Amino acid sequence: MLARKLPLILHNLPWSVSSRAGSDLARRHYDVIVVGGGHAGTEAAAAAARVGAETLLITQKIATIGALSCNPSLGGVGKGHLVRELDALDGLCGRAGDWAGVHFSILNRSKGPAVWGPRAQLDRERYRQFIQSELLSTPRLTVLEGSVEELLVSQSNPNEPGHHRVTGICLVNGSQPILSSSVVLTTGTFLSGSLFMGQTTTPGGRIGDAPSCSGLSHTLRETLGLRVGRLKTGTPPRIVKESVELSLVQIQTPDKEPTPFSFLNTHTHCKPEEQLPCYLTHTTPGVERVVRESLHLNCHIQQDSKGPRYCPSIESRVLRFPGRQHQVWLEPEGLTSDLLYPQGLTMTMPPDLQLRLLREIPALHRAEIRTPGYGVHYDFVCPTQLNPSLQVKSTQGLFLAGQINGTTGYEEAAAQGLWAGVNAARAALSLPLLALCRTQSYIGVLIDDLVGRGVTEPYRMFTSRAEFRTSLRPDNADIRLTPRGFEEVGCVSLRRYKEAVRVRDSLQEGLAALKSVTLSSTRWREKLGNISLSESRNGSLNGLDLLQYKDVSFEMLAAIFPEHLSPYLEFSQRLNIEAVYRPHCEKQSREIERVQEEESLSLPPDMDYLSLPTSLSSEVRELLDRVRPNTLGAATRIPGMTPAAIVHLLHYVLRTAQRNQHTGQRVKAACKP
Amino acid sequence: MLLSTPWRLWRSAISTLKSLSRPAPVRHLSIPTDAVCDADTIFALSSGHGRCGVAVVRVSGPASSMVLRNMTGLTQTLPPPRTALLRRITDPHTKELLDRGLVLWFPGPHSFTGEDSAEFHVHGGPAVITAVLQGLGSLKGVRPAEAGEFTRRAFHAGKLGLTEVEGLGDLIHAETEAQRRQALRQMDGELGHLYQDWSSRLKRCLAHVEAFIDFSEDELIEDGVLNQVDSSVHRLQTEIERHLGDERRGERLRNGVQVVIAGATNAGKSSLLNTLCQRPAAIVSPIPGTTRDVVEASLDIGGFPVLLSDTAGLRDGLDSVEREGVRRARQRVEQADLTLVVVDSTQLPTEPKQAPTFLQGYLSIVLPQPSGGNPEEGREATSDRVLLVLNKSDLVPEAQKERTERELRESLGLPPACFLSCHTTTGLGDFLAVLQSRVKTLCGNPLSGAPSLTQARHRAHLQQSVQALSQYHQYRNHDLALAAEGVRLALTHIGRITGRVGAEEILDIVFRDFCIGK
Repeated sequence: MLARKLPLILHNLPWSVSSRAGSDLARRHYDVIVVGGGHAGTEAAAAAARVGAETLLITQKIATIGALSCNPSLGGVGKGHLVRELDALDGLCGRAGDWAGVHFSILNRSKGPAVWGPRAQLDRERYRQFIQSELLSTPRLTVLEGSVEELLVSQSNPNEPGHHRVTGICLVNGSQPILSSSVVLTTGTFLSGSLFMGQTTTPGGRIGDAPSCSGLSHTLRETLGLRVGRLKTGTPPRIVKESVELSLVQIQTPDKEPTPFSFLNTHTHCKPEEQLPCYLTHTTPGVERVVRESLHLNCHIQQDSKGPRYCPSIESRVLRFPGRQHQVWLEPEGLTSDLLYPQGLTMTMPPDLQLRLLREIPALHRAEIRTPGYGVHYDFVCPTQLNPSLQVKSTQGLFLAGQINGTTGYEEAAAQGLWAGVNAARAALSLPLLALCRTQSYIGVLIDDLVGRGVTEPYRMFTSRAEFRTSLRPDNADIRLTPRGFEEVGCVSLRRYKEAVRVRDSLQEGLAALKSVTLSSTRWREKLGNISLSESRNGSLNGLDLLQYKDVSFEMLAAIFPEHLSPYLEFSQRLNIEAVYRPHCEKQSREIERVQEEESLSLPPDMDYLSLPTSLSSEVRELLDRVRPNTLGAATRIPGMTPAAIVHLLHYVLRTAQRNQHTGQRVKAACKP
Repeated sequence: MLLSTPWRLWRSAISTLKSLSRPAPVRHLSIPTDAVCDADTIFALSSGHGRCGVAVVRVSGPASSMVLRNMTGLTQTLPPPRTALLRRITDPHTKELLDRGLVLWFPGPHSFTGEDSAEFHVHGGPAVITAVLQGLGSLKGVRPAEAGEFTRRAFHAGKLGLTEVEGLGDLIHAETEAQRRQALRQMDGELGHLYQDWSSRLKRCLAHVEAFIDFSEDELIEDGVLNQVDSSVHRLQTEIERHLGDERRGERLRNGVQVVIAGATNAGKSSLLNTLCQRPAAIVSPIPGTTRDVVEASLDIGGFPVLLSDTAGLRDGLDSVEREGVRRARQRVEQADLTLVVVDSTQLPTEPKQAPTFLQGYLSIVLPQPSGGNPEEGREATSDRVLLVLNKSDLVPEAQKERTERELRESLGLPPACFLSCHTTTGLGDFLAVLQSRVKTLCGNPLSGAPSLTQARHRAHLQQSVQALSQYHQYRNHDLALAAEGVRLALTHIGRITGRVGAEEILDIVFRDFCIGK
């Protein structure tokens, strides 16, 4: 599969339009160009192509497409939710995880299905292979190796100063521009990135890769006038596995039965018994000593004036929480890799000191470093300048996704990538842009938080960010998203859609069947044996009531009523969950409807708040003008807005809407009840 | 401090407006589109407080008939529609007699709100009103109305037209402001500390449960954290329940119109207080900054209860005691129903034409700046809630006084001004007449916010909060996500009293208390 397009492209470097005239590669116009081949870029390109756009993915090195630059793992609490949702929208990473995983576990197993965290350690090589072969076999998708010199935008429209439209990109050494209707930038940490190790600083976004051109950063800032901020991140040293004293660490075994990420997979590629373990060890007072002694040699940490609230590195951990043991996870890098990844030991001190630090940990007293850890400083575009479609408000056709928007993590990047890709394609195909609501998905929460509030530290997903956590569970991501993904968004295959519909209908029937089986509590007790049931008012209980009890499972009930329930045994786990959560979700549904109502009222993007002929205070006007909320719901979440101001605003908008019934292109109301 | 935000209210206004803007809805037959949102039955005191002979308590919503039955012992039949009936009004649970009063039954859609509604006309004393409101609040599915909610429901039912929408915004503003002031007063002092303390403890509980959910499998967060939360939640439940159960612990409600005297130092504020009290309640001296704390006196003005407060003169204080006095003075003005702004007349410009500008400047120093609101509304509200007292008029030439009075009458946007001499009592009669009519208006206006309703609202939120906390224990051992949901709900309810708590605030605590990696 890999061979199908790849050699063709590689042979034609440096890329030239004229020499390939007539062939697929010679297209000088694409619907969508995606810049960057990381998690955001790959999902964006694949999604754009699935929606039906002729798509070009440009990356510095085809070989690093799908590379896991940092930790060799996917999912976790909150992040696992994102992976399930990406899969429900036919994204790549869930299936890639199932293919490449070498250690699967569901975190939070004992804490309730709403916060289960599907997670896997990955084989880096296999993950990359999967992503590359998927991309190269995706219709309408072309991959090109190259470095983008500049983003091409049309001149600012004199009627609308500050508004631009994307027209394409220019490659380094490329004589001809490549034109497109939409461009998705997923440049990760490469935007004005610089690498830190000890006292040395080098330009770049990832070690071993060339820095990207300053032209792009310049265009975003100077031509488009976008506000950018600076963030930092880091990665730990990689340790040679043989040099680790594994007898001195705790072994963390995977789940006996691996649970796949993807709704399409019934099992993972890795056999249960072939999974690899992880290892747990702890820091010692010696680690803290080395950090303190090396502070004067550590640029990255010295510049730590106003860091994030969490602890991104071992340096910040021991400085902020001194005198403690900190956890260090040693994670496998793959089935054949001879390296271990020490999660929790991100550090930026000079390499010799990194080695000294590691060796203060008993299990690592002979450790050898393959590649040292380092820090990265990079520019991000303040995401409040984006719409919920992830399009830059002031530049038609320009979409941003991933770390460029101030997030951290593969899953967060992939989620934005998919959604930016969808909308980039829809914009190119003249379809209305779409938003995901925070009542429907973690992806919606992520994007709404980004564009609504902005970021002050790298944004990472936590389940506590989702106020509708009870309804947004990993188990029901397919029902929440797949039907809409097919019917409205157009990014889901028919096969997946049919399966999701089958599951949805079966669950509904299963719940109805559970409701239909009723017995008196005495009879239930007879049948189920030693179960303590509280007496109900009229004495009879149905199957749904019974499933509220921790000790009762669907399987047990199916054994009592085989003719009613056995057809749904395939879904027993999901029915167990649905039965317990249903009453809580119903309580939330009122609040959800309210939010959806607010979100369905979009505010015109070009509204002149400063001279709106309605009685709003100047403070509120300025607030609205600065934030420019997309919907009334977003307006209510602006700190400082008053209920009275919202009513005035609402009244004005409705009156105007009534007058001219229709109002050009805007983000379509996203939330369907 | 942010108080219970009436977002819920305007959000339904949205649906109303949307339904209004749809083509030709069959108004009186239309079923509310978001009927679920209006499932609650609401109540409010719709008459004023103070010297009211009769207080009217309105109830609206699907449970109105249930409310009527439970409060009046009418088990079999409801009263004939729209007919006053004299009944014994009893507590729905203890059946204790609260009052004898009139009850009215308005089945929907022929009611003000279009929903089933009821009215209780009871005796106007604070004890009776409080008892009735608390009785109503203890019924399931019944809660105190949000600001403007009755009008909004009327609106929803198609009882008001689109042209009245602009008015709704102003009404919400007025009611929100009145409730805010009222709640500020109640939150001032011990009760406020209590609620704040509960809120911050709940925040910490939630943060620790959330940390355990989101991070315990990767980071070092011990199981002990949850045990601490268990006992904190338990203690909170006990404390809130005890508070709800013990009527006497509720603070004495500050009934009456809150009138605050404010102004620059040495303008004669304390003299005004003494003049109005007809006794020296406050120490007066020619030395600026004599009054350092708030001095209070209860008065009866034209039969209306008034709580009059004298405050420290507003200037950049010289010592910390005086600075604290000034802070309290500003706080008091913020909470006042009516502010008497005292000006030393001898400081007025000798050219009367410049007097309005001078006084505008003076007001802007003394009065809190309206935050976020509409400046138009703000100005209107100011002239309603402020009287200018031009003291020491005996020291101003008569001619200048007359010309200044004329200027002030003609200038727009200034509150009414009265020349007065506390020393000679010249002008006192006129001033008292203005004051009395103002107090009367305030008392008769339900918008000024009844303390007992605020109390009922607080109780309702506390009750719901306790209920939500029991969900924590119910799920603690087998579904921490649902247990956390209980704490989150409890915090939401307390937050309606003390201010909303967002996800970021919870994360702040998580990152402060635990070492969380990348």
